Amino acid sequence: MEAFDSLIYGFGIALQPGNIMYVFIGVLAGTIIGMLPGLGPISALALMIPITFSMDPASGLILMAGVYYGAIFGGSTSSILLNAPGVAGTVATSFDGYPLARQGKAGKALALAAYASFIGGTVSVIGLMLIAPSLASVAVSFGPAEYFALMVLGLTAVVSLSDKSLVKGLMAAVLGVMISIVGLDRQTGTERYTLDMLELVQGIDFLVVALGIFALGEVFAMLLAGDNGSHQRQKIGSLKLSRSEAKEIAGPVTRGSVLGFFVGVLPGAGATIASFLAYGMEKRIARDGDSFGKGNPKGVAAPESANNAACGGSFVPLLTLGVPGSGSTAVLLGALLVMGVTPGPLMLEQRPDVFWGVIASMYVGNIFLLLLNLPLIPLMARILEIPRPLLLSLIVLFCMIGVYGLKFSSFDLYLLLIFGILGLLMKLYGFPSAPLILALILGDLMEENMRRALQISNGDWMTFVNKPISLTLLIIAFLSLFLPMIIKPIRRRFAGKRQQPA
Amino acid sequence: MGIAFRGILKASLLSLLIAAPAAAQADWQPTRPVEYIAPANPGGGWDTLVRSTARVIQEEKLAPVNFAAINIPGGGGAIAWAQIAADRGNPHKLFAASPPLILIPLSGRSRVTHQDFTPIARLITDYSIILVTKDSPFQTVNDLFDAMRDDPTISIGGGSAPGSMDHISIASAASAAGLQPNQINYIAFSGGGEAMVSLLGGHVRAVITGAGESQAQLAGGELRALAVSSPERMAILPDVPTFREQGIDYTFDIWRGIMGTPDMPAEAVAYYQDMYARMMESESWAKTRDQLGWIDAYQNSEDFARFLDEQQAQFRAVLGELGMLQN
Repeated sequence: MEAFDSLIYGFGIALQPGNIMYVFIGVLAGTIIGMLPGLGPISALALMIPITFSMDPASGLILMAGVYYGAIFGGSTSSILLNAPGVAGTVATSFDGYPLARQGKAGKALALAAYASFIGGTVSVIGLMLIAPSLASVAVSFGPAEYFALMVLGLTAVVSLSDKSLVKGLMAAVLGVMISIVGLDRQTGTERYTLDMLELVQGIDFLVVALGIFALGEVFAMLLAGDNGSHQRQKIGSLKLSRSEAKEIAGPVTRGSVLGFFVGVLPGAGATIASFLAYGMEKRIARDGDSFGKGNPKGVAAPESANNAACGGSFVPLLTLGVPGSGSTAVLLGALLVMGVTPGPLMLEQRPDVFWGVIASMYVGNIFLLLLNLPLIPLMARILEIPRPLLLSLIVLFCMIGVYGLKFSSFDLYLLLIFGILGLLMKLYGFPSAPLILALILGDLMEENMRRALQISNGDWMTFVNKPISLTLLIIAFLSLFLPMIIKPIRRRFAGKRQQPA
Repeated sequence: MGIAFRGILKASLLSLLIAAPAAAQADWQPTRPVEYIAPANPGGGWDTLVRSTARVIQEEKLAPVNFAAINIPGGGGAIAWAQIAADRGNPHKLFAASPPLILIPLSGRSRVTHQDFTPIARLITDYSIILVTKDSPFQTVNDLFDAMRDDPTISIGGGSAPGSMDHISIASAASAAGLQPNQINYIAFSGGGEAMVSLLGGHVRAVITGAGESQAQLAGGELRALAVSSPERMAILPDVPTFREQGIDYTFDIWRGIMGTPDMPAEAVAYYQDMYARMMESESWAKTRDQLGWIDAYQNSEDFARFLDEQQAQFRAVLGELGMLQN
């Protein structure tokens, strides 16, 4: 009942005409920026800070939060249509979204992503409202050992992302970890694999690798195949989901939303890890798991619901602990600090208007997003009707803008090209690229947290099994790796026995 | 498209500078948004300095352009420095600096040193603070140090890399209390906020961070402060005793200032140092400063440069004692 009263109070703030306008502007700007490949929520948010300076903190955060979840909402578009993920959180969406688009079902894939995003976003707002204050304890319960175990669990998805050849998948994953190691080691400050190049001291940005391997690699592959079919245009297909399809994705969306929300609550995890975990989980439990990666609707629904739910979940550590879980929430934290609001344990008492106002505004924002995005889908999907030579050039251009915009470094453009060629080679020789990206994202965090945990335990490896959360996560990781091997022969034997008497 | 547009602006400005160098000399002022870099994750001391000064500058209309806060975390700052050092002469790039800029190069973890950059102005000072959870058995800083003497594995979290500010601060304090500095089990997190969350969850036993950063958590009541490195008790934390009060002769200043790119044009340096001087006289600065518990400590470019060289000599000695001097 208390939550209900608070929400009424929050809606009182969120539904003020000015604030409704801010929500609308925020989600509109966010969803448009999110749709552009290479531009993520961070750049959009950073641009918004000066605008919010003079605003009331509640309105300011309502606006910026709208930009943030709007960008995640719209972020799936370029992943699905162009195989060019703009933000890390939407990489997993491209695994099945892009194949769907190539099969002439772009409309369906985009609609799926929109519905899944809406549900994920709404579930996380409900979660925020009901249990946000008590969730802070979940966030602090994760220390270095627990994060390490979570990353291990995340990495087990390499197996399910490795299409046909597990060996090739593992090789790709190792390469991803190697790329993540390049640069200054955060624990000691030692330079690793920088080849004495100043540009590499900062490490290789995730976006450079993702756009190179996915988008440029795809472009090169098309060029090589001579597939410039300027006359054939891709179909968009229907936006409508049949009843059986809606039924099919209900499970993945529900699980993705809940999983995403809780992973989002952890300040060291976030939307990317949430989307990969959800994708890996669905692929493993689905009866048609083999068709993941070839255009299975569940493969779009799961990561999209998870990344949007994680986005909502990330407001828990931000508002109740004052600790950002990602680059985007970090910008939000900075904006709040300069507006004179210090997020932290006293936020609920000191600034209930900001806290409940923002949460209530997210309900409104998510509805706006769905209403905005559905009519935009046919429009966006028409990108695919652009003649192929022009479209390929546009993809290359967008990749270059996105990469150059990171730090205005032309060195990164050469890196982009190198990763594009790597992507092509991987495609030609049948190496899956998803494990590489996953390992690149997780490798860094896994190493850092492992070393921290061992330092705390004075080098005792038992720290990973002595802590209940860490142990549980490691057991799940172990089971998800080896259970299929154990179950299959047993099942076969049972099936065999049953057949014998018959 | 904002970023792409800025890129275009940058290119056109560059050609403009090459074409007409004389035009910039007379009465210099920034012509495009200043990249205002915090070389760490958001939520920490540098970040707060950058964002709050950017806000004051805008509110008081002290500059014709925006100061756009940018976070470049990693390596305790070295990653951002490497990037800024490569941007020689760019008058539209400033960054927040504090003791790590001197400490990290001395411990061999950055190729660039403070001498590579152009000092603009020193602004404020803050102090180190040692935190434990409210139900921790340690009541005074001597309880903690006594326990560390018996059990060197007690983990102390901090927001900066080993050999950087937080580590040096706890090591020097422990050394002043008669402990072996290299016996401290210091755990580096990527920011003071992350370290405090780890303390809240019981993953580390104590945390050393900036007093200003810890205010919200202290007010929340879950954390308790054992000692602060100021010479006298801080006005914002009147209940927290100093090290000196507890018989440990130790103070540590976390000064913070603004630096620019290598070889920044003199007229740009003059512009910025004066702008910061005006900023610190403003009403909205006074409010921000008090809110964050900072203490004014302005120095202009020239004095700041001299101060930095002195700090370097001092830290060189401290690091030498700790056996961490590499450079």
